[in-house]
Amino acid sequence: MKNVSLFIPCTVNLFLPHIGEATVILLRRLGINPVYHEEQTCCGQPAINAGYQKEAQKAAKHFIKVFGDDEQVVSPSGSCVCTVKYHYPELFENEPEWRRRAEELAPRMFELSQYLVDVLNVEDVGASFAGKVTYHESCHILRGLGVSEQPKKLIKAVQGTQLVPLNAAESCCGFGGEFANNFPDISESMVKDKVENYLSSGADLLLLCEPGCLLNIGGFLSRNHPGKKAMHLANFLAPNGREGQ
Amino acid sequence: MQQHSAREEILQKLKTAPKQSLSPRPDLPPLSELSMTQEEMIHRFTERLVEETGVVYRVQNNQGALEKLAEIARAEGLKKVMVSTDDVLATLDLPAWGKRNDVTVMTPHDFPNRDSFRDAVFNEAQAGITGADFAVAESGTLGLIHNKDQARLVSLAPILHIAIVPVERMNPIYERVVDQVFGNLKPLPSQFLFITGPSMTGDIQGVLFKGMHGPRKVIVILVG
Amino acid sequence: MEIQTEQFTAAVKRELQNARSRAFLKVMPPVLNMKRDIGLSTFPNIDAAQAYGAAIRQEAMARLPELLEEFEKNALANGAKVFWARDAKEANETILQLAKERGVKYVTKGKSMVTEEMGLNEILSKNGVEPWETDLGEFIAQQLHRPPFHIVGPAINVAVEEVRDLFMAKANMKEPTLDPVQLGYAARLFLRDKFHHVQMGITGVNMAVAETGTIINVENEGNIRLTKSSPKTQVSVMSLEKVVPTMKDALHMIRLLSRNCTGQKLTAYVSMDSGPKKKDEIDGPEELFILIIDNGRTKIYQDLKARDALRCIRCAACLNICPVYGQIGGYAYGWAYSGPMGQVLNPLLLGLDRTQDLYRATTLCGACKSVCPVGIDHPSMFLYYRSKDVLGDPYWKGKKRPSSEKRFFKAWISAVTRAWLWNLGIRMVRPLINKDVHDGVISKMKGPFQGWFRTRDLPAMAAKTFHDRWKEIKSREAQGEGYRV
Repeated sequence: MKNVSLFIPCTVNLFLPHIGEATVILLRRLGINPVYHEEQTCCGQPAINAGYQKEAQKAAKHFIKVFGDDEQVVSPSGSCVCTVKYHYPELFENEPEWRRRAEELAPRMFELSQYLVDVLNVEDVGASFAGKVTYHESCHILRGLGVSEQPKKLIKAVQGTQLVPLNAAESCCGFGGEFANNFPDISESMVKDKVENYLSSGADLLLLCEPGCLLNIGGFLSRNHPGKKAMHLANFLAPNGREGQ
Repeated sequence: MQQHSAREEILQKLKTAPKQSLSPRPDLPPLSELSMTQEEMIHRFTERLVEETGVVYRVQNNQGALEKLAEIARAEGLKKVMVSTDDVLATLDLPAWGKRNDVTVMTPHDFPNRDSFRDAVFNEAQAGITGADFAVAESGTLGLIHNKDQARLVSLAPILHIAIVPVERMNPIYERVVDQVFGNLKPLPSQFLFITGPSMTGDIQGVLFKGMHGPRKVIVILVG
Repeated sequence: MEIQTEQFTAAVKRELQNARSRAFLKVMPPVLNMKRDIGLSTFPNIDAAQAYGAAIRQEAMARLPELLEEFEKNALANGAKVFWARDAKEANETILQLAKERGVKYVTKGKSMVTEEMGLNEILSKNGVEPWETDLGEFIAQQLHRPPFHIVGPAINVAVEEVRDLFMAKANMKEPTLDPVQLGYAARLFLRDKFHHVQMGITGVNMAVAETGTIINVENEGNIRLTKSSPKTQVSVMSLEKVVPTMKDALHMIRLLSRNCTGQKLTAYVSMDSGPKKKDEIDGPEELFILIIDNGRTKIYQDLKARDALRCIRCAACLNICPVYGQIGGYAYGWAYSGPMGQVLNPLLLGLDRTQDLYRATTLCGACKSVCPVGIDHPSMFLYYRSKDVLGDPYWKGKKRPSSEKRFFKAWISAVTRAWLWNLGIRMVRPLINKDVHDGVISKMKGPFQGWFRTRDLPAMAAKTFHDRWKEIKSREAQGEGYRV
């Protein structure tokens, strides 16, 4: 069985571990053996975003040590993958050896839907769902990684599912990490608009590939529209079920 | 002295700054207008200018142009106009046309100084009539070289601008025109101008309308 | 122009309550974005066209001193006079002196953001030269004493009722009307008189062409043409980054500017001046003064990363696509430049200390970067400013961060580089985070997270992290229970 290294973002590890579990189930179902390095901690994005370069460099070095020998690394997140691919080389402008290692790791990093469609050449994972769904295009996945067709292909291949359009699907949901807490007025305005568009789409479920967006949109739904749900694509494709022996 | 030191200081700071290496320019595919025939260009020009509410007529020759002009004068109720003395209009003898059609035709040369010309073109001219040095199919644009026979305010101050353009002056894209103006002319014209349709604005609540400070209406008569 | 960049949070609160701004922002930017898409579609390859624009502006910045010298040489050969000014004070004094020497009582102005940066209007009017903004939006903003709401349409959000009242009071309008077309006509009549008799006109510069010594202005209204052509004296102010190498480069940039800005193929007028009028011309300026102003840009130029900010051509595509601008509008940014480009430029011109919120009030969504015709990487610039701020970098006036934040990241990185400490920290922090859990959900939390919890819940921190669960999966597998999650 082919191995792939699993990179689980902090948001998933701490608050949404079922996304990680679904990722594992999905990969196993497709004949891939997920390998999880227990030494992994955090990619360092919070430090980069806050401008703490020294700390970010240390986090990046730890990450590269943990994942540096893996042939391929897959993650159910876009922003963390972008951090490793694009920000790590920049962090090591003055350390050529680390820069080289970062540049070598970059092409081996994959967001989950990107991995399934582009690497495994899979669109139908054998899932089914009767109902209408709509898809939110997370910023780092769409604009950072150029990934947009892949999640939609996977969604459309789910039996019984109808993918309906989401107005302003490409518009940011207002998460932005610390932005949501530090500029709450603006963030709320943005997530409110996103949710309004979801509600008017006629979909039963909002799907997305970014845990941060899920915390933001899901958190707003939980407080204000408890009946409406948002879900990570991994959970949509591999609903909690037990893998056979 | 202060001037000199300001200049020196600024340039010095720029020159001693870290250098950047230049990458070669990326490829740029040519614009589709470059492969157009003259008729196609005329069609594109007309399409684009009409999109901007410009009015475009096509006539065969100077005779046709003068007849069309008379039509326009009647329709717009023109009694007094300001006209350029550029090479296109020179072949039309507009003062004579004016006499035939009961329209007072003024030219900038009628005025002894800039202030009296300015008064007339602001207050008295109901329309400004010019030729054009170039037309550009890409966007329905006219190109005017300003000089002693192409005063600037003629196509600007009156509320109506009428331009008469021989079709041979049609070009596909701006670069062709600019080659001819800035590549060839010495000295360079004090002002070269691209005009695309009437003046307009959307500055009040985004509501677009024509006729802000410049002409509200542009009529082009293509000849040939 | 008054600098209010430090009142961002208060301004945001105010603007989010402003129903008129909100209604406007729901409609206008999407319309402009649609027009932009249509306008750009006339390029055979949009990405190539934008990349070429970036290459032109990159070259212009890389060769800036030599291009400025070439521009000056050619402009002088055309008969223009070229002045240089290190800062706003020098620039304002130069222009004021030119006006006083010529006995000028008032000037008409074409839209020029750099003159707003300079505060030129205040200096002129204090010294007996009345400045009349003639771009309709600038005119309204000037008369209402309001900062610009959008860099292209500065008063585009102002209610027609307010415009009507303004024009009745100050623009000789006789009949009240709410029709924008009629209001525009009233402004035309009022300002026409100014154009008719003006002796000195002041414009900005969109592009200065080094190859020919030509300055180029783009506009739709005709006020810049009138400002250039009616008076005897023309003063055109350019910040030093406006230069481009060749006329062909300028044309490509103008295509990009028009299409990115309003979706037009070309603005109604593109006027290209190479010197004052010739002796035998009856209109146009007898004297053309070109003022090249620095005002902080040579400082930006020293920093290779910051230098990219100078590529900006003020097209406003980033404003129209920005989800934050789309919520708050232009006033909150507090100065002449708003939206993402203002967030990039204001910190460099005013200092990181005075613009703390500007480079933080972004989700780094990257929409701005994706539409920029000159390839500015706005998110990367914001991260750069934040890192300079953390360091307290004196060049950019970094302020340093609160010690509680510094302590947090010290502790955080200790744990990030040691998995055992990381996992221990998680176990220790869990009961604190989950203090007020109900039904697996946290609705409130003590501490600095009030911003989140105002309108959002958070799932409880999982009793078993993924890390814990993985260990269980592995141990079950090892004990021969088969692989299950």
